[in-house]
Amino acid sequence: MNFLAPWALLLAVVAAVPLLLHLLRRRTGDRVDFPALRYLLRAEREHAREVRLRNLLLLLVRIAMVLAIAGALARPVGPFPGIGHPPTALAIVLDNSASSAAVVGGSTILEAQKRAARAVLAAASDADRLALVTMDGEVRSGSPEALEAALDALRPIDGAGDLAAALRRAEAAVAAAALPESRVVMLTDGQRSAIAVLAADSGAVERSLYVAPGERPMNRGIASVRLEPPYWNPRGAVRAQLIGDSVAWRVAIAGRSVARGRSTDGVVLARVQDLPRGWHAGSVELDADDYRGDDQRHFAVHVGDAPGLTADAASPFLREAVATLVTSGRARTGGQVFIGSALRARRPAVLFAPSDPLEVAAANRALSRAGVPWQFGLRREGPAPLRGASLDGATATRWFALTPLNGARADTIARVGSDAWAVAGDDYVLVASAADAEATDLTVRAAFVPWIDLLVSERLGAAEGRALEVAAAVRVTVPTGVDALEYPDGERRPVTAASQITAPTAAGVYFWRRGAARVGALVVNAEARESELAAMPADSVAAALGAPRAESTPESLARAAFAAGGRRALDTPLLLLALVLVVAESWLARRGHAARSAD
Amino acid sequence: MPSSFPIQMSAPATGPLRPDLMDPRTLAALGRLEVISRWLVDGVLNGLHRSPKKGFSVEFAEHRSYQPGDDLRFMDWKVAARADKWLIKQYEEETNLRATIVLDVSKSMDWASTPTLLTKRQYAEQVVAALSLLLLRQRDAVGLIRFDDQIRSAIKPASRQLQFTRLVAALGESAGGPASDAGSALRQAAQAVKRRGMVVLVSDLLLDPQDVDDAVRVLRAQGHDVTVLHILDPAERSFELGVGESLFVDTEGGESLAATPAEVRDAYVETVNEAMAEWRARLSASGAVYEPILTTEPFGVPLRRAFARRQRLP
Repeated sequence: MNFLAPWALLLAVVAAVPLLLHLLRRRTGDRVDFPALRYLLRAEREHAREVRLRNLLLLLVRIAMVLAIAGALARPVGPFPGIGHPPTALAIVLDNSASSAAVVGGSTILEAQKRAARAVLAAASDADRLALVTMDGEVRSGSPEALEAALDALRPIDGAGDLAAALRRAEAAVAAAALPESRVVMLTDGQRSAIAVLAADSGAVERSLYVAPGERPMNRGIASVRLEPPYWNPRGAVRAQLIGDSVAWRVAIAGRSVARGRSTDGVVLARVQDLPRGWHAGSVELDADDYRGDDQRHFAVHVGDAPGLTADAASPFLREAVATLVTSGRARTGGQVFIGSALRARRPAVLFAPSDPLEVAAANRALSRAGVPWQFGLRREGPAPLRGASLDGATATRWFALTPLNGARADTIARVGSDAWAVAGDDYVLVASAADAEATDLTVRAAFVPWIDLLVSERLGAAEGRALEVAAAVRVTVPTGVDALEYPDGERRPVTAASQITAPTAAGVYFWRRGAARVGALVVNAEARESELAAMPADSVAAALGAPRAESTPESLARAAFAAGGRRALDTPLLLLALVLVVAESWLARRGHAARSAD
Repeated sequence: MPSSFPIQMSAPATGPLRPDLMDPRTLAALGRLEVISRWLVDGVLNGLHRSPKKGFSVEFAEHRSYQPGDDLRFMDWKVAARADKWLIKQYEEETNLRATIVLDVSKSMDWASTPTLLTKRQYAEQVVAALSLLLLRQRDAVGLIRFDDQIRSAIKPASRQLQFTRLVAALGESAGGPASDAGSALRQAAQAVKRRGMVVLVSDLLLDPQDVDDAVRVLRAQGHDVTVLHILDPAERSFELGVGESLFVDTEGGESLAATPAEVRDAYVETVNEAMAEWRARLSASGAVYEPILTTEPFGVPLRRAFARRQRLP
């Protein structure tokens, strides 16, 4: 409660006057001779309790009267039940992440959240500005009826979403409404794995919180799916890690089951062959439980011919690696992909730095001629550990700083210290060390051959593009040369190469297309942490999300949502109260006289 | 001979003013005790439409002018026939009734709630004087005992002409002790009146009820007729004192109590009513008559009530 004229509260000290009079009155007043005092004493003795009670009541009424007047003059503004609320900008942040699909008490958590949201909307007035923000980042605004319709159509997204971003959008929405009162109402399942990663933020707008009640169900699901190898030529295997054991599973590719079974150790391994060449959508599926969000996990697999490799004859390590790949069927000899020193640079190729520092200039010239927009720079020495995929703890002893030229666009796929150690462009991979044991021990490690296989498969066109696995509604960059995204139902939506788009909210396999050809895949799956359904204590959720407390019923949430909004100037009610008290005081004071007159 | 009432000349056309029905304060301001007593007695007797006694024991006393309402049986037809005057014969009773008036003159009686009212003692003394004169006119023997915490005056009953003068003189004596001992006074009255007679106690009854009750029972056992005139100031009935919260002090005991009249008025009135009911019940049980009198009531009221008892006695 606030006071517009708080100095008037000083008048409350006047309340001490009746109190003092009450306390001191026995010692004040005139002396009156009265012979019939015996009757007065007897009356006082027999009616003392009634008289004291009336006196006490009078005292309380008089003090309350003074306080009410002082309070009214102080012009208080505060909550007042039953008089509605002023126009309020209110944004409902509804956590429709994948975990909200879990069934609790016969209905999903999302349904419980919807009920709470409807209660808030029902308490809203026409003067309020309302918005509904969901985990896919969408902000819907409109009348309560419009938002109720949006609620009806709302489904869980196949991902965790971004609660922090949703809160920021909600605050921006209420700020844009420019109303005197604003509030963000959050509805969440309180999932520990989602809340725990949030940075504490109380926000700029008052927040109310609803945490869906109920015991979260035991969950079994698919934690991850991995293809072995990543690109099949033409055989491969699907390996999945499960949550829970003794689970029946099925692997489907291109719409047909290719393997099924029951896992007792939490692992699924399905070997697949004889698939047609090209990109295919696949999934691993389990029998349904109370949380369907992780009972199916998607993957995209590319089936193609083994790449043809040409090894640099000058490097025994590279010759042996290519020979091993050919022997295992992962590559053919005599192909166009060159693996060797940058001195003989061409494209496509995996290019290593020269062993001799004196040859750096020649190597740089060869890179320029081949159109590789990178140069070798200063020589660096280690040893220093290599950081990147499939490097298995290898170190670099000597390397050159990789310097990009104008217009260079490449991914850094490995680092050494603060330097890039391996960068990948459209059809080249450039490595900062020479392919010998003196420059890096990777060449003598078991990880070397698989690493070369990975580079060739993923980076050098062995597959037509790559498969990128993301969570729902995250931002992704459209690959170069792509002009459309093909949805699971076959619909193609145009995209602009190199632009950023929001990943679809429904799990599945989406193919990048360049004209009629599939040139990669966007695989949308929920984050593995969404399978951890355990909820955080409601108070902890409130603390993490900057809300004063967590409401557990739709009704209490609706009250809390407009509690701050229900503030009103309270001077008039207080004056009315003072008036009532004046009447009561007068009645009490005259009650005896009136009763006697009636007799 | 009855003295003439001075205001009679200025009475309204509807008839002469009756002193016994006038406001006591107004009447008391007109003269001395004995003079006013005579007016009162005249007024009371004029108001009686027949003689207090008739029969063989009643002797003719005087004539007076006929007034409408007088009993035609007492018209002196001889005079009417002879002188064409309409006169009523008045008689005086020959009696041997001995009456003792016991007057409380304690300090509590010396109080009035406002200066515009007579104190209870002033009022009571006027009643006593008038009653004495009334009884003496009946040829009764009248005595007086004044008491506070002790007997202040004691005049034995007599019916001599000078008795009224003695009584009036006694009423003027000082008193105002800090307490009242009605029991002793009544017991002394019992000793003073050997034969059966009449005892009138005039008091504000701020006394010990048991003490009074015991004395009244003794008097009744001796065959006395006992009448108690309870003199009350109006404020003692209503607690309308026109003051706010005050410290109320007992005029006799010095005891005090702080109170707000508006707050305790109901309870006080209820208590006084209960006390009066107790007095009435207690005295009735003893065979005495209890008459509460406010000091604002005309003197005729207590006089008639006391005299009514006399009229029922032989």
